[in-house]
Amino acid sequence: MTIQTYWQLDVAEDAARSESGARRSGLFRDVRTPGLNRYDYYAQVAQAAAQTAFDGLFLPHRPQSDDSTIVTAAIAREVPRLMLVPEFPASAGSAVYAAKQAVSFQRQTRDRLGWAIANPADGATRARDGDHVPEEQLHARTEEFLTVARGVHAERPFDFSGEHFEVQGGGFQAPLKRVAFPKVFLQGESEEALDLSARTADVHLFAAAPLPALRNLVETLDTLAARAGRAVAFGVIQPVLARDDAEDARRDASRVGLPDTAIVGTYAEVAQRLADLAALGLRHFVLAAPSSLEEAYRIGQHVLPRFRALTERVAAAA
Amino acid sequence: MTIDFYWRLPSHGCHGSLRDTAYDRGDWSPASPRNVAPGLDRNGEDDGFRYVDHLSAIAKAAESVGFIGGLIPSFPNTDDPWVISPLLARETKAFRFMIAFQPGFLNPVHAARMSASLQRATGGRTVFNIITGGGGPSQLWWGDSFSHDDRYGRTTEFLDVFKGVWGGEGFSYDGRFYQVRDGGLSPLLAREEIPEIWFSGSSDAALQSAAKHADYYLSWLEPFDQLTDKFARVKERTAALGGEQKCAVRVDLVARPTEEEAWAEVRAGFESLSPERRQQARGGPTDSIGAARQQALKPSEATRYDELIVAPNLWGGFSLLRGGPALGIVGSYEQCAARLDELIARGTDAFILAGTPHLEEAYRVGEEVLPLLGRSEGFLLQAAE
Repeated sequence: MTIQTYWQLDVAEDAARSESGARRSGLFRDVRTPGLNRYDYYAQVAQAAAQTAFDGLFLPHRPQSDDSTIVTAAIAREVPRLMLVPEFPASAGSAVYAAKQAVSFQRQTRDRLGWAIANPADGATRARDGDHVPEEQLHARTEEFLTVARGVHAERPFDFSGEHFEVQGGGFQAPLKRVAFPKVFLQGESEEALDLSARTADVHLFAAAPLPALRNLVETLDTLAARAGRAVAFGVIQPVLARDDAEDARRDASRVGLPDTAIVGTYAEVAQRLADLAALGLRHFVLAAPSSLEEAYRIGQHVLPRFRALTERVAAAA
Repeated sequence: MTIDFYWRLPSHGCHGSLRDTAYDRGDWSPASPRNVAPGLDRNGEDDGFRYVDHLSAIAKAAESVGFIGGLIPSFPNTDDPWVISPLLARETKAFRFMIAFQPGFLNPVHAARMSASLQRATGGRTVFNIITGGGGPSQLWWGDSFSHDDRYGRTTEFLDVFKGVWGGEGFSYDGRFYQVRDGGLSPLLAREEIPEIWFSGSSDAALQSAAKHADYYLSWLEPFDQLTDKFARVKERTAALGGEQKCAVRVDLVARPTEEEAWAEVRAGFESLSPERRQQARGGPTDSIGAARQQALKPSEATRYDELIVAPNLWGGFSLLRGGPALGIVGSYEQCAARLDELIARGTDAFILAGTPHLEEAYRVGEEVLPLLGRSEGFLLQAAE
């Protein structure tokens, strides 16, 4: 099975970069027009990922910054090859409407969309977001959301009456129904989250964690999915920092403050650690680092070729 | 005084001509050798194009001839305007994306965040055409089972919250349909302009909601006296509430160098209609007041195209030729401009125009009709008063 690599385009990172409100002028003659803006930077990160042979982009939901679905569409036509996986909350709106937006996007981009549903936020965040579904129903709401969205894409007429969504005589017609429904990425480590993924996810993305912990999670979800008569692919959202030299890597890691679970090391070391994860059965690698543009080039040029060589060797041996 | 003229992006496919009801631009009708932008080349292979490439061409044509932007309609079988707009954001320069959407389908806080993001992507080129749904089976298709008046109540609350969170942090709201506690857009997003809001709906519930939140009240073209009354009523109601409402008309044009050529086009379109197509045009059940007002014209019962000429240069059979309202303007370039002048004189502050096919007619109307505005006798007399 092939490995899919995604670069994380985090709209909240490098927040001042290309932000017209944060411009500094000086002695240089400044000819930047207001039309030059933050989205030019997003497009640059996307192009960096495309040019260094990532398979896709993952755009985390950042409520204080640009909406991931808008950014995804705004850059889609400038990276004609990449898979695009925006993360959004299941509280975004109607499942039918979300599905309709998804198929419209698929039609215009040759099926390059993935859907990452965000983990349920805490109570205060949900109240701020106008989401008043009770805590204990959040996973059920996500499940209904996906059932309805997939239902109107796959069936016509489609009827559904649940706690959170209701449809009568629904279902898309041609040409909207001709495209594939986006692959669904879910997340979370709780029992409930794993149960939900076993029933509904195409891909489950784990948070980066030590190898033994990830092994346990993979085994648990694999068992749950098998019990549900399904197969779920596994992935990880993995912060990385790689340098030519181990000393440089440690120094730069201490400057940006990475989480404990980040993989820090030489290009070869990072590639090996990723290959160890692949050996657990992980196939979808969302790689992330502060300074999305520079690090995309570094990882894409130096780590991915080594990582691919390692996993191809394993696959060939098997 | 200047008037905003919008064009339309046909998010439902486009006809190459009024004489042909097949959507031969886009992939809504079965692929035929002459189809444009279905994504297939003549050997049945993927040609790399998608329908959005055609919409891009129309948007660029419209902005280049001076249209301020374009309406992107939303129906069950259209491409979605929330997707089309950001897809085209970075390849257009001045074009404003008028997104038609039903507020009930989005969480208002999320919608505000999406909107502010789109404003940032486009340099403030987002406009909304808020629609509240026609009721009947179509609302249930969308997963919306609210009654007509509840939908307008929900629209009002949606816009309360949408604008409320845009005011910045610390916003709370406790409504029937929406509750927010200590919400609000981040300063990064909140500093964008709130998109202009265009509102449709002819019922009293709609007018109440419009009076509170709309910048423009948008109507289909109706017979001029009827429209004048409607606009007067809307403006009066808003004024009573201490607001000010601008009014806008959405209308299709058939503009040709001579009136004869324009009517010949309409006649050819009418005479090419199949009995089945005429039957379809009778329309389905709806609780929309606007739709009922238009259906009173009964275009599907006409046997000759000229039975549907309801006033000079006004033809009531457009709904037979394509989806949408019945009444449109037909005439020479000068006559079309004069009718638009008359509408301006009667209180119209902005327009959404369209013609078939959308790409070529954007150039024609933009180059031949818009420059003639404000020159007709009636307009000059009115302006002198």
